[in-house]
Amino acid sequence: MATLSIKGVRKSFGSLEVLKNIDIELEDGGFLVLLGPSGCGKSTLLSIIAGLEPSSGGDVTIGERNVNNVHPKDRNIAMVFQSYALYPTMSVRRNIGFGLEMRKMPTPERDAAVKKAADLLQIEHLLERKPGQLSGGQRQRVAMGRAIVRDPDLFLFDEPLSNLDAKLRVEMRTEIKRLHDRLGTTIVYVTHDQIEAMTLGTKVAVMRNGVIQQFADPQIIYEQPANVFVAAFIGSPTTNFLNGTLEATNGLLSLRHGGGSLDLGGLQQDVGAFVGRPVVAGIRPETLQVAETGVSGTVEVVEPTGPDTMVILNVGGQMLTARLGSRDRPKLGQAMTLSVDARAVNLFDPDSGDRI
Amino acid sequence: MSRALYTAAPPRTVWESINPLRMIGELSETRYWMYLLLLPSALLITAVVLYPTLYGFQMSFREMRLNRPDVGTDWVFFKHYIRMVNDPIFWLSLRNTAIWVTSSIALEFLIGLTAALALNRNLPGTKLLAVLILLPYFLPNVVAGHMWGLMLDPRLGVINDLLMRVGLLDGYKAWFADPKTAMAAAIIVESWHSFPFFTLLIMAGLKGIPADLYKAADIDGAGPLAQLRLITLPMLKTIIAAAVILRVIGLVNSPDLLLILTSGGPGRSTQVLSLYAFQMAYKDFNFGYAGALSVVMFVLLMGFAWIYVRLSKVNED
Amino acid sequence: MTTRFGRRSILQMGGGLLAASALLPRYAFAQAKTINYWHTFTSQSEQAGLDAVRALFTAAHPDITVIPENIPNPEFMAKITAAVVANTRPSVTMVSSERFQDLRAMGALTDITDRVSGWERRGDFDDSRFASITDDGKVYGVPAFTFVDWIYYRKDWFEEAGIAVPTTLAELHDAAVKLTDPAKGRYGFGLRGGPGGQNPVINMMEAFGSPVLHADGTIGLDRDKAIEGVTFYASLLKDGAAPPSAPNDGFRQIIEGFQTGQTAMIYHHTGSYQDIASKLKPGVEFGTMAIPAGPVTRVARLAYAYNTITKPEDADAAWEWIKFWGEPDAAVAFLEKTGYFPASTVAAQDQRIVGNPMYAAAAETLGFGIPQPSFPGAAGWAESTVLPAFQRVLIGDATPEQAVDEMIAGLAEASQ
Repeated sequence: MATLSIKGVRKSFGSLEVLKNIDIELEDGGFLVLLGPSGCGKSTLLSIIAGLEPSSGGDVTIGERNVNNVHPKDRNIAMVFQSYALYPTMSVRRNIGFGLEMRKMPTPERDAAVKKAADLLQIEHLLERKPGQLSGGQRQRVAMGRAIVRDPDLFLFDEPLSNLDAKLRVEMRTEIKRLHDRLGTTIVYVTHDQIEAMTLGTKVAVMRNGVIQQFADPQIIYEQPANVFVAAFIGSPTTNFLNGTLEATNGLLSLRHGGGSLDLGGLQQDVGAFVGRPVVAGIRPETLQVAETGVSGTVEVVEPTGPDTMVILNVGGQMLTARLGSRDRPKLGQAMTLSVDARAVNLFDPDSGDRI
Repeated sequence: MSRALYTAAPPRTVWESINPLRMIGELSETRYWMYLLLLPSALLITAVVLYPTLYGFQMSFREMRLNRPDVGTDWVFFKHYIRMVNDPIFWLSLRNTAIWVTSSIALEFLIGLTAALALNRNLPGTKLLAVLILLPYFLPNVVAGHMWGLMLDPRLGVINDLLMRVGLLDGYKAWFADPKTAMAAAIIVESWHSFPFFTLLIMAGLKGIPADLYKAADIDGAGPLAQLRLITLPMLKTIIAAAVILRVIGLVNSPDLLLILTSGGPGRSTQVLSLYAFQMAYKDFNFGYAGALSVVMFVLLMGFAWIYVRLSKVNED
Repeated sequence: MTTRFGRRSILQMGGGLLAASALLPRYAFAQAKTINYWHTFTSQSEQAGLDAVRALFTAAHPDITVIPENIPNPEFMAKITAAVVANTRPSVTMVSSERFQDLRAMGALTDITDRVSGWERRGDFDDSRFASITDDGKVYGVPAFTFVDWIYYRKDWFEEAGIAVPTTLAELHDAAVKLTDPAKGRYGFGLRGGPGGQNPVINMMEAFGSPVLHADGTIGLDRDKAIEGVTFYASLLKDGAAPPSAPNDGFRQIIEGFQTGQTAMIYHHTGSYQDIASKLKPGVEFGTMAIPAGPVTRVARLAYAYNTITKPEDADAAWEWIKFWGEPDAAVAFLEKTGYFPASTVAAQDQRIVGNPMYAAAAETLGFGIPQPSFPGAAGWAESTVLPAFQRVLIGDATPEQAVDEMIAGLAEASQ
């Protein structure tokens, strides 16, 4: 177990810069999720942490040790790959024990360690099989077994669940969470799935184009997204962005938009400097409620999903998605008013996209 | 049964029932289609492989000497095979064949594997290098043989010249005139000529090994040699086994390179079975005995392939 | 033949007839005739010689086109055997004396006795010229040119060392030893122990008193005499007078060795004269001598290359081509390009030959030269038994006694 510190890490392929000055500090036993769309550099960053790829600059420190020039095998890390990367020609037992075998651990101890890991992951009955004879979920467990058997300082997960079907993915997500709680090992976890990020991470780094957009607790990321990109990337359906002008009447803030005026009483931000200027209001669909006052518009689309009903409202030409109860089934074209909890609203600077 | 449940298909027009495309289309849905597709190759194999093979088999049980019409072409049953058991040249050829084939393939495999691993790195220039490395294989055996024959020529050959300049040789060395070096020199020429076959197949195999495996192995602490031994080679097993079988068949059956380089000499020190059968047929015109030699080669190859596939367990997974 | 390949030949004839019926109408109207000619000429000078003869022939017979096809000598028997068995024969094939019996036995050759006896130039040829293409009174070919065995030697080296041209094999051995100087990279004798080296071995055995084919037609070796012959010939290498590469040296190697000044003598025939003369100055740097006498006989072979008709359908045009080689102009043109001696006595008396002192040794050899031993299986025995056995002596893998025993056993096998 160890802390992880990344300072000023850069990576470029020729003139293409894929990582720009990455800084991350992760506490011992923390669970860091690198979240972002494909191509954002999150997997490259993971490879640099693992030592599989050299960085173009900056420092990676695991525990007290700078590992810039340390071979992957000497970093005392374990990695679970998206493809699982199980050795097809070896039995599950040998796959799990391979790292120990390479480290010349005597066979009895190795067998004991493999058995312990297999127990933990409930794959004891699969030990003599070859990876080709396993289902996707079983392979996933073997891959994790191979990682935990070594009792490393740091676990690295590279999109480990993306090859599983939806149901199994939820199951394995829980499993990983349980493992983390139980083993307490520091974890770096790469995913493009925001649910995985929110459920698993103690810290989330949202990345885009090689830059960390926000590095914070999942709750902060959700409630106070650092910019429009983070606000849009986190949450499903995505955050509504309502363009308008910030107004202050008698000390009461409101947003003047194409469909009327929205009361922003209770806003959690200091936005004084932006009074009279255009702003973007980020409003999460789940904070909207059917009410007498608020934003009004006509219903354009109704999408029942079972537990919820998604309603898209045309508010003076801007579309607003609301996540309503399953009983709320407005008719198309019907006029509707939704209340907005101003405490959950975030205002962004339309020029920079940053949260004010 | 109520007829109303079925909507009657519209009657076929005459054209529809004789439309060849439609008929083929319908046939392709049946299980006979596979046999139909296999038919041409089956006929071809019968004509050019099966018939000559069987003809060769029956020839080995007959007297058949093209330059001696007076001895006739009667059945002689196992006469040729009995002669073979007592023929020291046969046993010598068998031994030489074993040396020739195993050494050549071992060397070809080693060079081929090394080249494939190097080329698989995808560094700049590897594409061009890959083409260059494959060049020897495109040379016909005859051309390669004559080329090396000249290069290894004791008087004019560039190899002797180079070795003398470097100081490895004191005087000109007649590689093919000395039984101690003739076979080795021939093996080196053969390996030079055919290692790209292994390179080609192994490169194709390497492309199929996911890069993640090597990353995982890096983290697991496996060094380059361990990765080669425990990951690369096991994953190439099937391809290597197939390549080895193909090369063994090729080497056992084709006398051309040795024919050019040494003609089996000096003093039969490079005489192999295929060369012996060739000489028996086309120098001595004893097609019966040559046929018997070919049958023995055929049986040995079949036996080898069977045992080899068993041992290498390629069809296990 | 017909009983042997009954079923197959009927099938082939069927196919042949079909093909022929498709082609016949066209041939009926065609004036020109095309024939193909299989030959084993490889060197540049031989190719030039063939081109010269062909040019003369085209001028004389504009209606006949000859398409030459080069068949490398080592592959020749395999190719012609396959062609005969599959009936894809060439119209005309060049056949050397030692191959005649094998080809005749497999039915490759056409009997042309009547054409030859009616030929206006038959009188130009000594009867002996036809001996090794005649079997049971039937003539199967026309001699195209003669291979006269002789020895090329470095005249300048001999003169420098003050050595006389050898007349016996013992003198040849002494001269070879004396002229050897490994420090200069010089060897006295370019021994051909590789491909094609079998004939000198047989000649040596005969020179020491053990012919293979006896006057009464029986076949066999005299073990003791043969051992003497083999011992003597191998001693050239054992005594260091031949290059160490000798056990694998074939035609190309011995010629190049001589051309590049590494050997003082080589045993070959007149056919390589122009190739040697292209690199060394005739009469100054190199000379030619008749084969020295052995203890029992003097063995120099007169072998003939014959042209034979191998496809009876093309016999008329083929006959024009093969007899053309007997024209003195053609024979001399060929000699001038190559060095191969004419087979026709009339052509051999041409001033262009008689007037050249370098050909004196060949002319002398015509007087005492003898034909190759020819019987079915002779070529195969020589190549696949005599040569490897002799090589084993050269490389020290067998004693001359063991080698001769191997040859005797092989001979019994071949002629059983």
